[in-house]
Amino acid sequence: MQQTLFAIIVILLTITAYILMTRLYVRFSFPLLLPVLTTTIILIVLLSIFHISYSSYMIGGQWIHSLLGPAVVALAYPLYKQRHIVVSYWFPIISGVFVGLITGMTSVLLFARVLGIDQTLILSMLPKSLTTPVALQVSEVLGGIPPMTTVFVMIAGFTGAILGPAFMKRLRINSSLGKGIAFGSASHALGTAKSAEYGEFTLSMSSVSMTLSAILGSIIGPIVAWMFTI
Amino acid sequence: MKIINIIFQIAILYAFSFVGEVLHDVFNLPIPGSIIGMLLLLGGLSLKIIPLRFIEAGAGYLLKILSLLFIPAMIGIMNYPALISIKGAMLIVITIISTMITMGASGMMSQFLEKRIQKRKEKDKCSKHYSQSL
Repeated sequence: MQQTLFAIIVILLTITAYILMTRLYVRFSFPLLLPVLTTTIILIVLLSIFHISYSSYMIGGQWIHSLLGPAVVALAYPLYKQRHIVVSYWFPIISGVFVGLITGMTSVLLFARVLGIDQTLILSMLPKSLTTPVALQVSEVLGGIPPMTTVFVMIAGFTGAILGPAFMKRLRINSSLGKGIAFGSASHALGTAKSAEYGEFTLSMSSVSMTLSAILGSIIGPIVAWMFTI
Repeated sequence: MKIINIIFQIAILYAFSFVGEVLHDVFNLPIPGSIIGMLLLLGGLSLKIIPLRFIEAGAGYLLKILSLLFIPAMIGIMNYPALISIKGAMLIVITIISTMITMGASGMMSQFLEKRIQKRKEKDKCSKHYSQSL
């Protein structure tokens, strides 16, 4: 009974904080005020103040977390609605996603090797641009540390959602297709959530490339890792 | 009524994710369950087995609150205070730079190819020659 009450409080707290932070973001629309980021920080601070561990938080948090599966399934909806465009631009989409996967994974390997990071950490970083459920599985297959992978996945997501818009403007990536594919293949679902601000076409391009990244990434990941361990 | 409809539709999406999970386990597939579920739903919609209105409201709602769903996973970062160290900072910087490279490369590549296709389409329209593009 007490546990149920605690779970309900945690859920309500998370949702309330999120709603308030969304209002704040809409009001000022400053990139660092991204609701996921601010809500996470507020909750971590609150949990630390009241000495609540992450696993206790998850008694309630898992209910929100468990909606991620159906949310990934829900991506079929924008994909279906934009299917004609997706089919007619299949070549730029596949190429963009493929190039993104290769550059993303090899750059991690190169930087990490140069800086002398240990193998298990490198392997945990490799799937950072894939969506969380996929990244966790790829990390496990590669021999990384899955919870560590979540952290890198989140950092990759934030990088895209916060720094992405200005960075793409610099590089003159201004077509809806280019932006969507960049968001989806670099910053998975967090980038996809951000891409919704650019309209439905960008959103569906982003979800297409996120999905393709997940599928291709789970195949390419082990190959890249294997090539560099020889 | 609207809320009940959304909850019911989310339950349908949940079922797809669950079936995907089961297929993933049974056939030991490298693709995660939720992605398999999504592909199944996409197939169902395309083949008109599942009418769009069965999932439209639920899917739209979930995608609207997508960023909320990440928060519990995000808070997991609190279990890794080691990230606040020189080595941790290095890992974070590598992740950020590599993500930017990924973004730039995939965005520029796809935009370049998109423009080429558009140019070719315009040319096709002008000369009225029907060549097989791609």
